[in-house]
Amino acid sequence: MATRASQGGRQYSLVGRDRRFGYLLAAPAIVMLLAITAYPLVYNVWNSFQHNVINSGLPPTFAGGANYQRIFTDNQFLPALAHTAGFTVVSVAVETVVGLALALALNRKFRGRGLVRAAVFIPWAVPTVVSAQLWKSMFDPQNGWVNYVLTALHLPLAHTTWLASSWTAWAAILAADAWRNTPFVAIVLLAGLQVIPGDIYEAARIDGAGAWQTFTRLTLPLLRPALMVALIFRTLSSFLIFDVVYAMTGGGPGTSTNVLSYLNWQAFFVYSDYGYGGAISVVLVVIALVIAAAYVRVFRSEQVL
Amino acid sequence: MTTWSGHARRQQPGRSRMSKQRAAVMAVAIGTVASLAAAGCSSSGGGTGKQVPASAKQTIVFATQGLGAEGTATQAAVKAFEKSHRNIKVTILTLSPTSDVAYQQLTQRFTAGSPTPDVITSDVIWPVTFARPGWLADMSKFKPDTSAFFPGQMATGMYKGGIYAIPWFINAEGLYYRTDLIKTPPTTTAQVFQDARAAMKADPKLKEGLAFEGDKYEGAVTAFQSFGGQIASSNLSNINTPANKAVLTMMFDAVHKFHVAPTAVSTWEESNVQSAWLSGQTPFALNWPYIFALSQGSNPAYPAVKDKTGWIPFPNPAGQPQASLGGDDLVMNAKSTHQAAAWEFIKYLTSDQAQIARAIAAGDPPAVKSAYTAKLYATAPYFKQEQAVFNTATPRPVTPVYTQISTQLQTMISSVLSGQASPSAALSTTAPTVKQLQATAGG
Repeated sequence: MATRASQGGRQYSLVGRDRRFGYLLAAPAIVMLLAITAYPLVYNVWNSFQHNVINSGLPPTFAGGANYQRIFTDNQFLPALAHTAGFTVVSVAVETVVGLALALALNRKFRGRGLVRAAVFIPWAVPTVVSAQLWKSMFDPQNGWVNYVLTALHLPLAHTTWLASSWTAWAAILAADAWRNTPFVAIVLLAGLQVIPGDIYEAARIDGAGAWQTFTRLTLPLLRPALMVALIFRTLSSFLIFDVVYAMTGGGPGTSTNVLSYLNWQAFFVYSDYGYGGAISVVLVVIALVIAAAYVRVFRSEQVL
Repeated sequence: MTTWSGHARRQQPGRSRMSKQRAAVMAVAIGTVASLAAAGCSSSGGGTGKQVPASAKQTIVFATQGLGAEGTATQAAVKAFEKSHRNIKVTILTLSPTSDVAYQQLTQRFTAGSPTPDVITSDVIWPVTFARPGWLADMSKFKPDTSAFFPGQMATGMYKGGIYAIPWFINAEGLYYRTDLIKTPPTTTAQVFQDARAAMKADPKLKEGLAFEGDKYEGAVTAFQSFGGQIASSNLSNINTPANKAVLTMMFDAVHKFHVAPTAVSTWEESNVQSAWLSGQTPFALNWPYIFALSQGSNPAYPAVKDKTGWIPFPNPAGQPQASLGGDDLVMNAKSTHQAAAWEFIKYLTSDQAQIARAIAAGDPPAVKSAYTAKLYATAPYFKQEQAVFNTATPRPVTPVYTQISTQLQTMISSVLSGQASPSAALSTTAPTVKQLQATAGG
């Protein structure tokens, strides 16, 4: 026992020296990470159990679950949750279908493909707030481009004040969001398409498969990993939508386009209520984790099949 | 152009359980700080460090927004101040030009307990919000001449017997009218609508009769107030009044019944109103004074409105016009150790000479009444007309929970203008929440 212990001790000191040096080198990065991710997260959770309105001039006091209770008893959170969930389902569906179509088109060989690819991806490079502001002016009923085109083409809705009623405001938000984010789906799916080897398509053709059959039996299953990545990213960021709503409607008209992140921003920066804001953040994180876990589960089970 | 804050975007039912306790604690805390300051115990009242006398060599930090002409005017004022006060240097800390971002920047510095900046440019709706937690110095110890300023703006700095802000430049919302289309300025709201419809009939080039900002943001509140909405602090315990219902109905009617304002106004901000006015598509427009300078300017020139611009307080159904007040105040950090020098700087910025220089260079209307002189009119004659609007300037509620209350009002106005709620329904859902919020502020 004694010898083994001393042997172990020697070995420890040799390996340990290297290891300690390794930790030393990694320490700044670890401290940095803790400071910018772990600390705010923990601080936020702590805050969510406090009454803490930072410009009230009063010190924070323990609130128990009051902030969480308020989330589910006031008349703000649940409508906003419904808006957010509805928007997420519709926007992700639209963006995925259109993104897939774009990716399939861009995967074909044609003249000027490089140029078209670059052009398609431009919207994704525009900051969201900027594009939302542009869309807002395009939806202006008097001087905007949308109604101008509708009028020129003698289409219905040419005299709509888009941001002045619930459904049309949502349509405008969806357009702005999809315009910016569809290219992201297209990029990811295009990458997925490009790793599918060409010879299996050849084999399918020889076996007499039609275009639709090839698409549903070959392309879609082989695209599944890329599709899942695109879906997870898009679902989470749709669920946390903020900038478009902030820039285009401010949650209006009335409260009809209120979403969770907007509510959260408001709690922090308009109400300076770090307790309530913290509680909303925690709930948002939990919902986001559940969504991510659900996707991973679906992804795994389908891999097995 | 001048700011008046577009920052409070929406609402939330308040918490009133703590209001009494909170009010008591607050009153004691603020009372203590105020009495310490008044008694001259300046050494440690409210956590203030050792004060540097005005005559010592020192540097003070001035936090301010302002790009372009305003920024240049500020730098010129700082240079002139340093020339007359050789021992004091002024460093400018530039705040974000976006009102709500600037508000957050300041809140962060205050909560961190920073002794700088010493002097801060503050939107007229912020001083009491900053004063409640004890972040601002009570300047009544310097005995400012409160009668020198327009009364509406002076009120924005008064809180629990202290003076927490000195007006820097004023801003108020008034009704622009085309002097070529409207021969005599209207004196009643009904007349505004009549004249607007008559003008639209006579001139098919006009796209609308009246432009105002009704988007769901701070501007909707100022428009509501300019139209005659009664939202002074004393009204907040019950805003569900016949007068307010009449104003909301009038705003709705302007769009949906008389069709003088386009449905688009429920999504318009000042910039949209500005382009509608400058392009000559409307005979009436509600907007801030900077439009006057633009309309009369020659680089760029707007021929549709140049020399055809008149500006009056919005005729009010109650008979007493109340132009919604905007503009900027100067406030002092409670933690500043250079308060004496900071006061010298504030005194300089609000001197006639500095006020006139800024008005001419940047178009910012002086907050000091005595600055409206022949010298000012010689360069910018429109300031003569503007004075009439400023005299009726009415502050939005002066309360530490203004941003919260504003979000409630924005939702209310937005739901009425978009036809989602009737004026009476909107008022009856908003009034209790506003009352509750105001109660958390301790009255």
